[in-house]
Amino acid sequence: MERVIGTDELKSGDRKTVYVDDIPALVIRIQDEYFVIEDVCSHDGQPLTNGPIQDCSIVCPRHAARFDLRSGKALCMPATEAIRVFKTEIRDGAVWAGR
Amino acid sequence: MSSTTTDISRTGFSSEVFEQFLATRSEPSWITDARRAAFDQYQNLLQTELDPEEFKRVDLRVFNAGKFRPSAGTVDSSSISTLLSDKTEFGGSVAHVNGHVTQATVSDQIRAQGVLFGELQGLMTTHRELLEPYFMKKAVQTDADRFSAWHAAFWTGGTLLYVPRNVEVALPLHSLIAHSRDGVADFSHTLIILEDGARATLLEETASANDDIAGLHVGCVELIVGRDANLRYVQLQNWNQKSWHFAHQAGCVDSNASLQWTVVGLGSKLAHIHQDINLNGRAATAEVNGVTFVSDRQKISYYTQQHHKAQGTHSDLLYKEVLRDEARVIWRGMIKVDPAAQQTDGYQRSDALMLSDNARCDSIPGLEIEADDVKCTHGATTGRVDKEQIFYCMSRGIHRHEAMHMIVEGFFQKVYDRIPVEIVRETLSRTVQGKLGIESIAI
Repeated sequence: MERVIGTDELKSGDRKTVYVDDIPALVIRIQDEYFVIEDVCSHDGQPLTNGPIQDCSIVCPRHAARFDLRSGKALCMPATEAIRVFKTEIRDGAVWAGR
Repeated sequence: MSSTTTDISRTGFSSEVFEQFLATRSEPSWITDARRAAFDQYQNLLQTELDPEEFKRVDLRVFNAGKFRPSAGTVDSSSISTLLSDKTEFGGSVAHVNGHVTQATVSDQIRAQGVLFGELQGLMTTHRELLEPYFMKKAVQTDADRFSAWHAAFWTGGTLLYVPRNVEVALPLHSLIAHSRDGVADFSHTLIILEDGARATLLEETASANDDIAGLHVGCVELIVGRDANLRYVQLQNWNQKSWHFAHQAGCVDSNASLQWTVVGLGSKLAHIHQDINLNGRAATAEVNGVTFVSDRQKISYYTQQHHKAQGTHSDLLYKEVLRDEARVIWRGMIKVDPAAQQTDGYQRSDALMLSDNARCDSIPGLEIEADDVKCTHGATTGRVDKEQIFYCMSRGIHRHEAMHMIVEGFFQKVYDRIPVEIVRETLSRTVQGKLGIESIAI
């Protein structure tokens, strides 16, 4: 696990691009929950970075594929494959993530 | 709201790095002036977005140029092992390690033919009138994008092959580009000029001294093939998986000339190759072969263009890719036919074989045709290994892994058959076997 962000750095609904194990990732805070996902859409292979957040899911800004932030599961077309979700831990005032 | 950690200093070199680099060079002022002009273009291009058609699938976010610097120190080449260098007889050999030439030999017989083969910077200095009109002027343009401008500002040497009119170089020549230290940025350049009626073969390979060093290669390959000439060029990219490889490669083929070009991608963490094949003269021919085998989390991207500019030209591109683990390949190919290029015959095909659920291949063939009397064909396939084929082999006593090797070999065979140099075919077969891990399995 590696430290990706302090718990005081994001407000609920905010996100930040980080790197986990040299993989571009997105940390997203919803209420007091933190999600760390690979920042690549499984449909077109490009970033999800600025995609809207809806009901604990992220929508790809290009083709509107939607992914569950907890499981990574693809929730609608055109994506059919899940995105990677990193394991997370909150400790020492920080979010830690790993594969 | 969102925020990112994107840092512009990750993408390129500053003017301080450039001045430090210039201070280590000993070269004529015309070369330094050209570098300064290129660096100005580079700084401008760093501020502009890369062409999304070419780069939108190439994820450069993890790339950090600040981790790499041109090497100024001495070089020890003894620890570099290569795939090709001792496998056959060569007419000459040039080696660069960390951007510094460590070896440049050519046989007396070839030298007596008037052939120039050796280290690029030295020959550019002594043969300015001959070479300056070609260097980054005919094939690759300095301002093509930030990588070509970066290369033009920082090129660290390279390999030159010049073959005079109607001269045939019978033995193949060899060129090595290698890294032996962590954090090295090298900008090697390969320039091949065949005058009318000349013939030659150059085998080039890249290598890392071990698996632990991270390296950056921003390279350039320029192939100028005169009328009725024939060039066979192979580049075997075999960096370790901590290396970054960016390259502009372009061939210009004149009337009735032929270019047989083989691109092999085995190594690197991330590679992006921009390959242009310009068929400039009537009845020019180019055959382009691609062999790629990626594993783990490697990413290799190809952006190829077969540009038909004259009547009766013929191009034939065949790429084969094998992917395992979480590897990714991107191939974006284009056949472009100018209005004057009637009776063009263009072909392009990319086949990918996926050995795992998590590998990914994006193949995007394209045509842009402005003439009305042409034959152009393109296509791409992506698929998994057929389980019935594995079962068939196993039912005849062949181990599953050996069966997999046979299937992968069979997949590559069509492109191997097109590679005109036997030693390259043998080396690739052996290397693919190693990458599949067959050698470690008792059968």
